[in-house]
Amino acid sequence: MKYTDSHEWIEQSEHVATVGVTEFAQKELGDIVYVELPKVGKTLRAGEAAAVLESTKAAADVYAPASGTILEVNPALAQTPELVNQSPEAQGWLFKIKLSNPLELDKLLDLNAYRNKVTH
Amino acid sequence: MTKTLFEKNQGDQHAYSLPKEDKAFSSFTPPQNLLRQTPLHLPEVSEIDLMRHFSNLAKRNVGIDTQFYPLGSCTMKYNPRVNEWAASLLGFTRTHPLAPESAVQGNLQILFELLQMLCEISGMTAGTLLPNAGAQGEFVGLRLISAYHQKRGDLRDEVLIPDNAHGTNPATAAMTGYKVLTIRSNSEGDIDLDHLRSLCSAKTAALMLTNPNTLGIFSPNIIEIAKIVHDHGGLLYYDGANLNPLLNIVRPGEMGFDVMHINLHKTFSTPHGGGGPGAGPVLCNAKLEKFLPLPKVELKEGVYNLVWDDPASIGRVASFHGNFGILLRAYLYIKLHGHFGLRRIGEVSVLNANYLKQRLSAFLKVPYRQPCMHEFVVQADQFLDKGIKALDIAKRLLDYGVYAPTIYFPLIVKECMLIEPTESESKQTLDEFIEILKAIVHEIETNPELVRNAPHTMPVTRLDETLAAKKPKLKQ
Amino acid sequence: MDFISNQNPQIQEMLQALGISDVTELFQAIPAHLRLPRPSEEDGLSESEGMRLMEKLAAKNSYPQFDNYLGAGAYEHHVSPLVGAICSKSEFLTAYTPYQAEASQGLLQITFEFQSAICALTGLDVANASLYDGASACAEAMLMALRCRNERTKVIVPDSLHPHYRAVIEQYLTSHKIKVEKNFHFDENSAAVIVQYPNFFGRIEDVKSVFAQAKAAGALCILVANPLVYGLFSSAADLGADIAVGDGQPFGLPLQYGGPYVGYMACKQELVRQMPGRIVGETVDTEGKRGFVLTLQAREQHIRREKATSNICTNQALAALACLIGITWYGKQGLPKLALTNYQRAHYLCDNLKKIKGLKEGGNEPFFNEFVMIWDRPLDKVLKHFRAHGIEPGLDLSRFYPLKNHLLVAVTEAKTKEQLDRYIRVAQECQA
Repeated sequence: MKYTDSHEWIEQSEHVATVGVTEFAQKELGDIVYVELPKVGKTLRAGEAAAVLESTKAAADVYAPASGTILEVNPALAQTPELVNQSPEAQGWLFKIKLSNPLELDKLLDLNAYRNKVTH
Repeated sequence: MTKTLFEKNQGDQHAYSLPKEDKAFSSFTPPQNLLRQTPLHLPEVSEIDLMRHFSNLAKRNVGIDTQFYPLGSCTMKYNPRVNEWAASLLGFTRTHPLAPESAVQGNLQILFELLQMLCEISGMTAGTLLPNAGAQGEFVGLRLISAYHQKRGDLRDEVLIPDNAHGTNPATAAMTGYKVLTIRSNSEGDIDLDHLRSLCSAKTAALMLTNPNTLGIFSPNIIEIAKIVHDHGGLLYYDGANLNPLLNIVRPGEMGFDVMHINLHKTFSTPHGGGGPGAGPVLCNAKLEKFLPLPKVELKEGVYNLVWDDPASIGRVASFHGNFGILLRAYLYIKLHGHFGLRRIGEVSVLNANYLKQRLSAFLKVPYRQPCMHEFVVQADQFLDKGIKALDIAKRLLDYGVYAPTIYFPLIVKECMLIEPTESESKQTLDEFIEILKAIVHEIETNPELVRNAPHTMPVTRLDETLAAKKPKLKQ
Repeated sequence: MDFISNQNPQIQEMLQALGISDVTELFQAIPAHLRLPRPSEEDGLSESEGMRLMEKLAAKNSYPQFDNYLGAGAYEHHVSPLVGAICSKSEFLTAYTPYQAEASQGLLQITFEFQSAICALTGLDVANASLYDGASACAEAMLMALRCRNERTKVIVPDSLHPHYRAVIEQYLTSHKIKVEKNFHFDENSAAVIVQYPNFFGRIEDVKSVFAQAKAAGALCILVANPLVYGLFSSAADLGADIAVGDGQPFGLPLQYGGPYVGYMACKQELVRQMPGRIVGETVDTEGKRGFVLTLQAREQHIRREKATSNICTNQALAALACLIGITWYGKQGLPKLALTNYQRAHYLCDNLKKIKGLKEGGNEPFFNEFVMIWDRPLDKVLKHFRAHGIEPGLDLSRFYPLKNHLLVAVTEAKTKEQLDRYIRVAQECQA
């Protein structure tokens, strides 16, 4: 798993990657009441806003950690957005993306680097 | 358990009366195929039950009339009843917006003179009373700015907005097609001039600013700020939400602003009504005059006329003439005060705020120490280790019969409370408020649970907002 | 006069607490050359002088003495004094936005009830707390539709929509690269269509058919209506509307020279997250008691800022309360009766005017409580004649359309048979 400065995680499996937000992010946001997910087939550049996580008091943009095309979005989030709070790095995944340039992941933070960032 | 009106149905009960039907009318029957097919789910309630229903709802609400309301950035001053009386005169309420101008000279005189008075107060040369609220005023202001640049063939697509600005500013900029660039504040709570200089360019259409800013601090750099923006060919928009302390003390037009809006429901006492109706007149200088929306009111040889057409104008922004009933309340308010009274408003609103700030700083954290204008910020983050947030203090204030100040705005101060007493309040009310806050701070020390679970004496305790957002139930 | 409590004794105490001698010391941050001198003379009015001034200004309006047949988006209906009695209550009049929900249950519940009433009338699923007026409601609906169909770039705004509403839609679309068309031709680039019901000329157009075409092309359907029409004719939902907007002025709000009125908006459930404005929802408190809160706030400017659905903050809350009282004063049985008598009185007048030589009805589709009368002579003479008899007979449409001698006439339940017969007589005299 790799991490971004804006608290997204990305897990690659060949040319497909799963994206979500970290434990730290879900704690900051509070109870998620709604998730706005991108349309399947949409192409995104790294750093472009891909999804929105809504709590009662805030709406936070989720940015694509890498460029590619949306293959799948998490179908469970429509009924149970709280999955993002309960299991942000597993069942609360947001979308799957077909990577157009897997090398982009090399620029992202690894677990230690991300942990460092969050504790400072 | 509280019932909505829709749950108080009793078959066939009603309040209405209609004139007896005349035979001459009954022969006109509407075409069958157009008739409403689905039932109309409205309540069946008698007049006494309607009156009781709303009277009991009033008991579950509070207003300036019933308690101190130090909502920062809202200017909750007294709403004079004489204004209400004036607005209900049949000579005004029975006038149709499309009536011939000769038959509504009184209305047109009010519109003309109100605009003149607001121009003088703001230091501007022209304006419009059409916008129905401050946000719509911002929209009109940015439309004027856009028209100005467009006329000059100057393509500018960026608007600069400070990070502590009210949410309507960036929302309005986006609505008018502009990209928003956010300017950082410095440690004084003022605009970071270096950051402003770095963001200002030939693409800058405008800077949107309020002065005093949303921390209640007058920016001493306003002349310099205006120069930076104007040197780059941009215009300066003034968000007039914080105009109250400046009344007859300084004029935004003379500070370098090109266009502004005023919130009549803040500075000029028109009633807040639970969230409107308000009014957001826009005033501007000569650069933008010709683009003002329609209709305009003019005076020619003692007769008032409406100008309906003007090719240079940006066009219409409202159904008719804006919230006329609100405009006439503000008109009377200004007439009652005169220059002398308006000056007193400015001075006493600032004195009240500084007095309160001084006394509260003895036991609360006041991050900005310089003299404030009409409002100031108190920071409540030192109570976090007791598990108490600004929200909790706000809720506990409700138990003491005081409406909570604005919380979590502006966004740049952690656990922020923005307090604006206004000039209406007596020293006694302010002193009582100080004692109440002292008591709450004491409770935080000795019995934080009481504060954390407040309010305890309201019709409801804290409400489940997560449920309301996740499973929205938005109608009966 | 002013409304300032503190006088010199308190002011001196406060200055002492601050360690200063004059309040002007607090204004030092303001550049000296900008500071205005303190006025020395009281130049305001006393309360009684202020009241006399307003009475004089009101008396300068001769319009209230005329029988009013002007409509065009502002209608003279009976307003029960119950409306004023409730709206003037301190806790409603002088309250602010219900951000502290526990202290604002009254207004929150009222807003919930207003939303419910608008849903009842329009037949749609959700409504917001109000918008400024009919014109801005149309504009917001158009922007909303464009957000929902954000790959499409055309909208249809027919000429039969109120000219002021059309102008405001165009104002709000200025920075958007959207093509505005007038005719009901739909293709895969059509984002939305807006139809007025009844239209500006008072006529009921074939809305169902237009909306069916729109839906076939995937465009959103916006219906703008005088809400009273829903008491008699098909609801917005029945006609296939996705978004219903309009002005609630006919209920509970006098003419007031054009405002405050109250814009309303309702929409289908699936569009709710794109709806602008405040929305109140029902919930429970920590003890399970029913309560109401502002909800879905993440759409709004104070949270979403430049990505908000709209910049709207203050809306028309108290006017929405007046509208709610107006609607519920009539209620389930009264509202259809009110709508019917509006329909019948307008048809009585139109029918009798048609019989007069030289007068023709403008249009042949069904109408509600407003119609066009075409005269065989210049309207300025007609208007002069009527006004001499204390009647403002209608709106000369030549200001808005290339239509000569067309008069738009509105009739409500406020017109008695005597008044209508007088109108007919004066018209006959005019044509004699």
